[in-house]
This record gives sequence, structure tokens and C-alpha cells, in this order.
Amino acid sequence: MMAALSAFAANDIVERGRYLTYAGGCISCHTEDAEDAIPLAGGRAMETPFGTFYSPNLTPDMNSGIGGWSDDDFVNAFWEGVSPEGKHYFPAFPYTSYTGASRDDLLAIKAYLFSLEPVPKENADHDLAWYMSSRMAAGAWKAVNFEPARFEPDPSQDEQWNRGAYLVRHLGHCGECHTPRNSIGVSQGDAEMAGSKFGDEKVPNITSHRIDGIGRWSESDIEYFLDIGMLPDGDFTGSSMVDVIEDNTSKLTREDRLAIASYLKSLPPRESAED
Amino acid sequence: MQRKFFSAIAALAISSTLSIYAFADTTPEDAADYRSAVMTSLRGHIGAASMIARGLVENDGHLVSHAQGLANAANELSRIFPKGSNVGESEALPVIWEEPEAFAEAIAKMQQATAAFVTAAESGDEEAIGAAFRNVGMSCRGCHDRFRVPQ
Repeated sequence: MMAALSAFAANDIVERGRYLTYAGGCISCHTEDAEDAIPLAGGRAMETPFGTFYSPNLTPDMNSGIGGWSDDDFVNAFWEGVSPEGKHYFPAFPYTSYTGASRDDLLAIKAYLFSLEPVPKENADHDLAWYMSSRMAAGAWKAVNFEPARFEPDPSQDEQWNRGAYLVRHLGHCGECHTPRNSIGVSQGDAEMAGSKFGDEKVPNITSHRIDGIGRWSESDIEYFLDIGMLPDGDFTGSSMVDVIEDNTSKLTREDRLAIASYLKSLPPRESAED
Repeated sequence: MQRKFFSAIAALAISSTLSIYAFADTTPEDAADYRSAVMTSLRGHIGAASMIARGLVENDGHLVSHAQGLANAANELSRIFPKGSNVGESEALPVIWEEPEAFAEAIAKMQQATAAFVTAAESGDEEAIGAAFRNVGMSCRGCHDRFRVPQ
């Protein structure tokens, strides 16, 4: 009886972790951009102004994956941006957002990742500009631009808003693309969600600005967009957001999508930066 | 079998310069403008249908007419991309004419999805309506993803 109960509990945390893996957007970056790619086994190339990053293997393979990681190793990667060997991660891994995630959620994600089939697949080396090509550079960047901190609910806001804030700012790391960065790649907090660029693609302003942003969208419009990708005028985009919708937001519950909508609607209207 | 047949016909229409150039006076600009107008009508029906499907507006039978509007426009898709009409503000990508079979296949998906949506709308079953509408959306997205200039 007890064994059966704990088996259920173990299964439960894996299921919760699977869900949070969607909410955390892990799959889009940690899966190679190929038809037959194995999910979460890493290898996707990410072009940035600082060079090309290759995402690592997140399956529990002991040698090439994260099979040897302890709970604390895993949590520290998200909270502090450091590897189990104490190396600094480049912020292509969005620990600047993930630092707000709760330990419970992170360990559920770990449980899910550890339930996957281990895939032996060596990580590719990043191909970076000379000034970024050492982990020292990542350490220096962090020392100036990164402050580890957990998400603290805002008691003046309701539960839905707080859930949305947690998902948008931290787990979903929406700002990594939607918030403009300065020349050294630091997100500009005073321009949260005011739009940016992703490669050649313009990333839209999603503040409540009625012209530049999505101020004319209802919460239902936002929820529906995150579900099936329809814009309020009936159009369907073919942008990078399609992957985000397919791999992540469409897999969330309607409640969580509405929470995201509630938080986004509460953002002050901001004008988009000039190109 | 039937779907294959329609795809082949559609591919033929796309790769020829016939279709809406039947009138000698139709210019490439006219063809592009006409396409844009048909696409706008699709978008309008989608937007309206989504509001009913989401329960924001009462379904007093108009869902069926929006669904039919979508199905009608979907049936016209294969004739509104004549070769040479990629002019002006057109957001069509050249791959449409380079890979007419793939494009025809995408159109066939849209036609099936909209036909199924008409059936669902007529049934009045909310769950069926939601699922069928989602498939219509996927068919829009699937096509725009590959055949339209990224927005």
C-alpha cells in the first residue's frame, strides 16, 4: 500500500515537472532544429551578437547529459548561473530570469528530466567572439549584471496576477526576447516587454501600449493567442512565436494562460524603442 | 484518393498563368490585390468565428455563416496565386511557385479543416466547434509559416 502510494507520488512529481518544462520553455532551446531531433538532448545553435551558443544535453546520460547532477547542482544552475564544477554560465541560459523559480518547481523539472531516456550526445563547444570566449567573461558579466533572487509574490495583487508574474518574469522568461537589451546584453528593466530584436526578427512590444503594444487585446485575446496563435484580427503569424506556442504555451492550462494575460495587461504602456 | 486529385488540380492552377487571368485585362497588381482581399475576408471570418467559439459572443446561427465563408474562401485559394502575381505589397513567398505540390497540399488541408468546421458549426456541439476551429487555425498557421513573408 505504501509502496503504491509513493509510486504515485513519484509519478506525480514527474508529471508536474513535465508541465513545468513546458512552462519553462526548455524544449525549444534544448532540442536540435531537425526533423528527427530527440527532445531535450541539446545541440540547437543560437545566434547572438556575441557568437553562436549550442544548447547542452539535458537528458540524464551520465557522461554527456546531466545524469550525475545532485538536486543542489540543478537548483544552483538556475539560481546562481553556475555549473556543478563551479563554472559560470553565459546568460544565453536565461538564469537571469530562472533565478526567481522556486526550488520545488526546479526539482520537479529535474525529476521529469531524469525520467527521460538517457541520450549519449556530446555537447558542442560554443563559437564565440574573442572577448566572450572564456568563462571568465561570463563571470565578469555576472558580477556586474546579475543578482540572484527568488520571486516574491506582491501582496497587493491577486493570486492570478502573481502566478502570471512568476510565469512571465521567471519560468517563462518572456523578457529574454521581449525586453530590449543594452549593448552588453543586459535586459532593460525599465522597458520590460517593450519589444526587441531576435536575430533579424522584430520581437513585438507586449506592454499595454495601445498603438505600439497589445493594449487593445483583451485577456481572452492573449489567452487565445498563446493557445492557437491567432491574433485578435484573425491573422496567424508565422514568427518565432509559433515555436513558443507549439512547444510551450499551448501545453499550459487555460488558467495559467489567463494568469499570463492578467500580468501582461497590468504592465504600464511603453513606447517601442526606435529602430 | 479524392484529396490527391484535388491537390493535383490545385498544383496545376498554381503553376499556370491561367486561373484568374481569364480576363485579358487582369494585371499582376489586380491579381495581388484580389488575393489580398480574399485573405482579408478569411481573416474577418476567422476573427468573428473565434469570438463565438470562445463564447464571447452568442452563437445565434451566425457561426455557420462564418464557417461557410471560410470554406468558400478556402475553395478559392488555389486560383488566387497565379504565377507572376508576386508584386507590390504581396507577402507571398516564391516557394509557392517553386513547390506547387507542397503549397497545394497546404491548401487542401485548409479546405478539409474548413469543411469540417462547417459540419461542427452546424452540429452546435461546443466541444466539436472548439476542436474544429483549432484545426482551421493550424491550417492557417501551417501555410503562413512556410509560404508567407515572416511578419
